[in-house]
Amino acid sequence: MSKGKAFASIGAAAVVLGAGAYWLSRPEIVDPAEVVNAEAAVALTEYPKTVLWGDTHLHTDNSIDAFGFGVRLGPEDALKFARGDEVTSTTGIKAKLARPLDFLVIADHSDGLGVMRRIYDAPRIAIRDKTLRRWYDMMHESSEQSTRATAELITAAGAGTLPEAMMDPVRQKEAATDIWNAQLRTLDRYYQPGTFTPLAGFEYTLQPDGNNLHRVVMFRDGIERTSKVLPYPGLTTTISGLFDYMDAYEQATGGKVLAIPHNSNLSNGLMFEMTDSSGGPMSAEYARRRAQHEPVVEVTQIKGDSEAHPFLSPNDEFADFGINGWEIGNLTLSRPKTDPMLAGEYLREALKRGLSIEEQTGANPYKFGMIGSTDSHTALATGDEDNFFGKHTGNEPRAIRANAPQNLGTRIGRFGWNYLAGGYAAVWARANTRAEIFDAMMRREVYATTGPRMVVRFFGGFDFADNAFSGDWVRAGYKTGVPMGGELVSNGKAPRFLVSALKDPDGAHLDRVQIIKGWTEADGTTREKVYDVAWSDSDKRSPVNGKVPAVGDTVDRKSASYTNSIGAAELRTVWTDPDYRAGQRAFYYVRVLEIPTPRWPLFDALRFEMTLSPEAMADAVAQERAYSSPIWIGPAAR
Amino acid sequence: MTLPAWTREPIVHFLAAAAALFLFFGWVGEPADSASRTITVTREDRAALALQWERTMQRPPTDAELDTMVENFLREEVLYREAIRLGLDRDDPVVRKRLSNKMDYLAASMAETAAVSDATLADWLAEHPERFAPDVRYSFDQLYFSERAAAGAALAGGRTVGETISLPSTFDNADRTIVEGRLGQTFTTALDALEPSQSWAGPVASGFGWHLVRLRNRVVGTPPELADIRDRVEADWRSSTEAQRRKDAYEMLRSAYRVSVEK
Repeated sequence: MSKGKAFASIGAAAVVLGAGAYWLSRPEIVDPAEVVNAEAAVALTEYPKTVLWGDTHLHTDNSIDAFGFGVRLGPEDALKFARGDEVTSTTGIKAKLARPLDFLVIADHSDGLGVMRRIYDAPRIAIRDKTLRRWYDMMHESSEQSTRATAELITAAGAGTLPEAMMDPVRQKEAATDIWNAQLRTLDRYYQPGTFTPLAGFEYTLQPDGNNLHRVVMFRDGIERTSKVLPYPGLTTTISGLFDYMDAYEQATGGKVLAIPHNSNLSNGLMFEMTDSSGGPMSAEYARRRAQHEPVVEVTQIKGDSEAHPFLSPNDEFADFGINGWEIGNLTLSRPKTDPMLAGEYLREALKRGLSIEEQTGANPYKFGMIGSTDSHTALATGDEDNFFGKHTGNEPRAIRANAPQNLGTRIGRFGWNYLAGGYAAVWARANTRAEIFDAMMRREVYATTGPRMVVRFFGGFDFADNAFSGDWVRAGYKTGVPMGGELVSNGKAPRFLVSALKDPDGAHLDRVQIIKGWTEADGTTREKVYDVAWSDSDKRSPVNGKVPAVGDTVDRKSASYTNSIGAAELRTVWTDPDYRAGQRAFYYVRVLEIPTPRWPLFDALRFEMTLSPEAMADAVAQERAYSSPIWIGPAAR
Repeated sequence: MTLPAWTREPIVHFLAAAAALFLFFGWVGEPADSASRTITVTREDRAALALQWERTMQRPPTDAELDTMVENFLREEVLYREAIRLGLDRDDPVVRKRLSNKMDYLAASMAETAAVSDATLADWLAEHPERFAPDVRYSFDQLYFSERAAAGAALAGGRTVGETISLPSTFDNADRTIVEGRLGQTFTTALDALEPSQSWAGPVASGFGWHLVRLRNRVVGTPPELADIRDRVEADWRSSTEAQRRKDAYEMLRSAYRVSVEK
């Protein structure tokens, strides 16, 4: 070889090596010690003074179905959007949250984490499995076909017929490790203690026969601990397996983790059973285990509202919110729903079942607080009616989405307008850090809204004065009572409650505040009652047969607008249970109703100049709401 | 000495490396074409095939099964090469889409893994100060009235007692987002129109009703130093340039083509 050639080859090699090293140097990892220091620098208030808003249930392109439905935004975009930056959605629409969120849990499905992306990116020739290859072709063909492929995939997951190549544990583990660690690093990069808090989590997708038993699993800790585990798969496991996994994590790392059940409304009666998960009688041990691992439940989200159902609560005229379409069957619509199943699906009934199981076994499995979230599959945590970005990328804002059939499975029965705009989780914490948010959930000092940011306070005790709202009443509430999520021990006196609801500063006025009570009778049966405790326009509205008449309706259907000419900016009261029987086992939670406002299909109709179907139109106006976590009262624990 | 910015672009390195390799092979000459008609199935290839079988079937393949797999592999490889030779890859939309995705992915992953210098980030911070500037901070007192007339009368009468509502009456050095979260957008916008003063002003509207406001101070934030917010700037630079780099890479390739679209 001539001298010139030798130089040239050395030069070429140097360029290649240099460039290679340059590309391979990974983006900087935030030093865990720095995170700890930043957390320590955040001052804690004496008691929770401001409410933090967040979404504990957001999917990105790492979720098998979200990717298939077309989303191409990842965790980084999700975090930017949540903290208030402008991002461009997958379909090219610029989006920015008018009011940023305080915290976010990215909860991608653990099953097949990132697998759709890998199939999509894989060389076609490497895909041996016929079904996978067909899905691959569909995903590459068009977004409609991609959505169809994903629907097939969800049905297959529900039926347990996913291609074996997808479930290959070795390959799955490698891929999951990469994705999980990359995500944990991203979370730490965006964590600004005191201002914005991303928490690590995933969705556990247990769904025997398509019955939705999903949970969001959420960690309290940073990368040093969370990188010691991988998201736990749901499709091939059982709920006690998940609890074992959570216990093992806590023991091995000294960290903490909790699980949040959601969409009990699609479980065909399995989420809150009177029996244990294998159908045997509920033991105290199982009940305790369940309550310890699941301190909060997601009551409202895009796929409907699970607070109450008219079949279970015939005397509650507001129990029909967010049930249309969801009450016909389970998640994949593989099985229709029958009335007896409803009792295991709705949270008010579950709270009652909890009391009754506690009476029998001494332990309450369903002693949970309530939060809302989005379950958005667009990587965009939008919860308001006028910014609904759709359940998934296939129904981001466009003209046909409201009327179109929107089946997660492949069958007929659900339509675009059945989807709610999604809810948010409100957390009373002493500071905006991972530990404070997590701990507030453990003590259930949280509440749910269907989107609007109402500020709700709820204290229970025995000694509140009639003029308890004078002065620094919040401090007094903490001092002489327990906040939402707390427990009172019977002392013979009827419990009293301080309840206050302030409207969303940019939203609608409030119609009324209700306290919902559930209790067990002496003969062991459970009962419920809804009390109107504070309402607006009280000079014009007196209770008739114990019920406050409807507030009215200012919504102009044509312009999708309403006026705050009815309702109140704030409602509050001191309330004593008039029907309390000494020694009774009971729970009380607050429901706050806004005046009627337009739902997202009405905004769509205006924006895209289209006509809603008669069914959609009949459901185009609703009373948005908040649900507090309950306060329980009962005899001291045995 | 600092190099110009383009020398730090991974795409430039990539193209330089490609050019260097091209020159190098041009110089030393390529091996004879017969190589492209030689297929060697290495021990590693066979092991990979066996492993793949084992993962699916949960047992190692028999010799006969492995031979069949090798035969299938060869068959596919031969047909693949012949297809390339015949140019069958050219009119296939799936192949076309797949390869273009790969190129896109390549450009994006370069942006993801490139280390980034302080100078680049400093430039980025200077170009986009609004993304990193802390919010405007306000110090003010407020009194609440449900009716505008009541607020006006209180202001005129110098009575500084409002109606009760669960809102803080005093904000000290509070972020714009905090004020907006508590009192809403209408109020915060109105706050920007007021001049700081020691006297009460208003009535100012909010989603709750009407307010008298004593705006004691308003501080407009200046962006912090790069060292304090390097992570945030880097995160922003990283995700913003990913799209840009993908675009740049495409534009660079695109510029080498003369395109005419017949109408």
